[in-house]
Amino acid sequence: MTDYAFLLDLGRCIGCEACVAACKTGNELPTDLQFIQISEKSTGTFPDVTSLVLNHRCFHCTNAACVEVCPTGALYKEDGLTRLNREACSGCSYCVDACPFGVPQIYDGFSSKCDGCAEVVKAGGTPWCVKTCPNHALMYDTRENILAAAQNRLEALKGRYPDARIYGETEAGGLGMIVVMPDKPEAFDLPENPEPAFVIKAWQDLVQPVSAALTGLSIVVTGALAIIARRNHMQELARFEEDLAQREVAEATAGDSSQETTAEKEEV
Amino acid sequence: MARVKLQITRRAFMKSALAGGGGLAMAGLGAGAGLAAPPARIIDGEPGWFYRGEIKRTYNYCDMCPWRCGVIVESVNGQVYKIDGNPADPKSRGMLCARGQGGVSFMYDPDRLQAPMVRTGERGEGKFQEVTWTEALDQAAEKIQAIADEYGPESIAIFGHTSGDFWLTDYFAQAFGTPNAAKPSASLCTSPREEASTLTFGLPVGGHEPVDWDYLKCLTLIGSHIGEDSRNTLMQDYTNAWARGAKVIVVDPRMSTVASKADYWLPIKPGTDTALLLAWMNVIINENRYDAEYVAEWTEGFEALKAHVQAFTPEWAAGITELPAELIAETARVMADNAPQAVIMPGRHTTWYGNDTQRMRAEYLINSLLGAYGRQGGFYFNKSPYIESYPHPPFLVKGTSGGCSAGPSEDVANAPLPAGPTGKHRADGVREDFLRGATAMQELIDPMISGEPYPIKGLIVYGVNLLNSIPDTERTKEALKKLDFVLVIDVLPQEHVAWADIVLPEATYLERYDELWTVAHKTPYIAMREPAVEPLYDTKPAWWMARELGLRLDMDKYFKWQDIEEYLNTRLMSVGSSLDKMREQNGVIIQKGKPYFEDYGNKSPFHTKSKKIELFAHELELAGLGGLPVYEEIEQPPDGYMRLLYGRHPVHTFAKTQNTPVLHALYPENEVWINEDLAAAQGFKDGDMVWLENQDGARSGPVRVKATQRIRKDAVYLVHGFGQNAPGLSRANGKGASDTKLETRYALDPISGGAGMRVNFVHLVKEA
Ligand code: SF4
Ligand code: SF4
Ligand code: SF4
Ligand code: SF4
Repeated sequence: MTDYAFLLDLGRCIGCEACVAACKTGNELPTDLQFIQISEKSTGTFPDVTSLVLNHRCFHCTNAACVEVCPTGALYKEDGLTRLNREACSGCSYCVDACPFGVPQIYDGFSSKCDGCAEVVKAGGTPWCVKTCPNHALMYDTRENILAAAQNRLEALKGRYPDARIYGETEAGGLGMIVVMPDKPEAFDLPENPEPAFVIKAWQDLVQPVSAALTGLSIVVTGALAIIARRNHMQELARFEEDLAQREVAEATAGDSSQETTAEKEEV
Repeated sequence: MARVKLQITRRAFMKSALAGGGGLAMAGLGAGAGLAAPPARIIDGEPGWFYRGEIKRTYNYCDMCPWRCGVIVESVNGQVYKIDGNPADPKSRGMLCARGQGGVSFMYDPDRLQAPMVRTGERGEGKFQEVTWTEALDQAAEKIQAIADEYGPESIAIFGHTSGDFWLTDYFAQAFGTPNAAKPSASLCTSPREEASTLTFGLPVGGHEPVDWDYLKCLTLIGSHIGEDSRNTLMQDYTNAWARGAKVIVVDPRMSTVASKADYWLPIKPGTDTALLLAWMNVIINENRYDAEYVAEWTEGFEALKAHVQAFTPEWAAGITELPAELIAETARVMADNAPQAVIMPGRHTTWYGNDTQRMRAEYLINSLLGAYGRQGGFYFNKSPYIESYPHPPFLVKGTSGGCSAGPSEDVANAPLPAGPTGKHRADGVREDFLRGATAMQELIDPMISGEPYPIKGLIVYGVNLLNSIPDTERTKEALKKLDFVLVIDVLPQEHVAWADIVLPEATYLERYDELWTVAHKTPYIAMREPAVEPLYDTKPAWWMARELGLRLDMDKYFKWQDIEEYLNTRLMSVGSSLDKMREQNGVIIQKGKPYFEDYGNKSPFHTKSKKIELFAHELELAGLGGLPVYEEIEQPPDGYMRLLYGRHPVHTFAKTQNTPVLHALYPENEVWINEDLAAAQGFKDGDMVWLENQDGARSGPVRVKATQRIRKDAVYLVHGFGQNAPGLSRANGKGASDTKLETRYALDPISGGAGMRVNFVHLVKEA
């Protein structure tokens, strides 16, 4: 199976937001939801100012923290990219807290993020954002080709920016978004080593085994987990085992929560 | 048909519809709401739109800005879902900017005008009654005829903007016989660069600045902010050149995005650009860095120029521009080292300080010294595509509305001014108040008030956001009160719509056929526009309105065609094509250009009298306006005030897209950029809400403070197009501050008639 990847060239990205508008339109996103955020970051004092365009979007980590914590399988890896099936999402928001880049957002009760235009690509198209980027700051191809292209972009960038580098070749097990950047990751508010938020470790130690055991169970249990999960994570981790012990209690009322979940989905 | 007395303001209208109950409900509104682009698919898990039925693809050219990228519109089951670049189009090359992507949202904006209306209240009150097209057109024609009968057709002014303006501002105006047709893209935007170009080369700049990007080695931008001004092709070409390692020099009082990536940023004191340009010439000439062979062969007036610039040393300019002399000299050398693949790009909006044609000439003189014109990697010679007009009897008056896609302007100074049927020529004061160029829109306002040189009694406004583009809005309102008749054609209930007697709602570019797009380019080409879907509501295209008005005004002989397809096919026949053929050939017809000197044999590509580049402009010298550019000091802000500068945001165009749902979501309101230290000294911080007040006490706001190190202390900056006072625009109304409303004065360019608008000063006032 071939892994695919995106290229984001922050040398070229000029912050024009064509990608944002294309994504919103092509994916019919609600007006107040967007999967790419463009912003600026300036340092220095006039006239010695450095100003960078920040381009915040899903990095499609190979070892994706969001996928690891997702108890329902709503988030999953496919072709090297991180997909999201909102139909399966319980809204627990674990992914929101786990993502080292702060990408998933809860929109109308459920997780939402770039899925790499899964449907478009399956229909033989190019992701909307890539298709329109007027500055050729975006590419989509096999991960191998993207890495090669990134090398070329890097060479071009080094003439102007000696600190230029490629980000995402190995970070977080390799990202599905290979970023060519003129400066260090910190300059772009990106972690040098994208460590999943600490919650994921606790999750792997504590919950994953339980989660695996739950896989075969119905949405009823998931609904119960969702109730647990909505609590503050800090407190929750401290009390996790206790909470799990109380699962029976939750299960007792699970019938209701299951109905709620279904109803919510139908309503919207 | 429902006859409803409604406020034009959509909000108020909806309120009244609700309050009044079912009897007041308008069929159009319900339909519109239902047809709005489907939001929130993400929630209901429906398959992507491209799985919902057969995808219909239609060809079009984008109307979200004046650039007009070729697009392919995709619709399914009568609903438009997506617009992408047409890969065969020389401008889009398959890509679009954010605004182009927002076209779907523009079309499905539920605030759109939905049916023809006539005014029932006072002008400006915004009270209208819905009528049928027949009633609206009959009444409009009657009013226009009455004015023409009493004062002559010259007394009807026609203002037009956006791509359908051809039908009113060009075709109808010339057939009807009014020389007072004007476009904001001329005297409120490009006139200085066009007149400077015609004076120097005998050629206009034309639509697309003819930079030969693929081979460019050094780009200089003076105030142009590529990327914020998101003209698609420019972004593509600029970024490719930049990535290839072309040197980029940006002169801007504000660190624009493009300045932040430039090799040199020159944060110049506003209004001193010509001093910098003269100093650059001084270095290039005195250090013998100019292209001597080219200058000898292709230019005239070099010795005079050389003598002229002797005093303008980098040290002299440093004191004026507040830039280090060494930086001035160094950047001149960088340009020269890369010549002739080095250009100062003309830019588009060049009406700044009133002395703008001279500044533009100074830019062109440097480009000429560097030998850039007609050379690979410099400037190519653009060419308009060959195609015949639809045959029609001679027009009653020659068109002078100009605009960004105007053909070569003739040597107007020596030709008699075109007059209308009753012998009157343009009322904008050309030849008296300014020398030449396209009709100056802002200069037609006074005649509406004063009746001098003759009365202008009627006004047709097509797609111009009148109160958010022409400076001195109070004067414009006074004129609107005085007029006998105001006809407004628009897609949206813009601010000035409230001042109309009759409102005609237009179908958007996605819902109509239109005139072919033919613009000068490296590869001349023709693009087509066809409807993707039927017009929403009770809206019609401008070609239909122009024709219907014409038929009612005894202009039948100009409107022989029965429908637009016949019109277009007749024109296309002259190039051996048709709409059907174009559809088979990717929607564009591409012709061969003549970009370089080699393509002209032993003929000169320059159309000046001397057939050379006229470094010294005899026409200007004769008119007492100076054959060579000089630096003139402009008024400086009074104590406590900053100069008001304005520009663009990448997701917005003019005062047109602020209400478009998808684009509004990305940048809902503008901010006032102010130097962070200065803001702090004045007690303001980032995010504060303030009002802006200008030297005459005009206020606009409230607007958010963007305290930043990216701007000088003597200027503030606003993105244009916000601060609209149009309650019918449910999203844009009252958001941010309006630069136009703070431009209570402007400086008339004595050469081009351009309205220099960066001569206003503001200070921040705490929100009351
Ligand atoms: S479209 Fe391209 S250049 Fe524009 S913001 Fe997106 S990635 Fe950056
Ligand atoms: S919110 Fe919870 S269930 Fe939904 S995708 Fe994120 S982790 Fe998975
Ligand atoms: S890949 Fe698709 S979903 Fe992701 S940001 Fe681009 S357009 Fe949006
Ligand atoms: S530059 Fe953008 S808005 Fe302008 S025509 Fe092209 S796509 Fe449309």
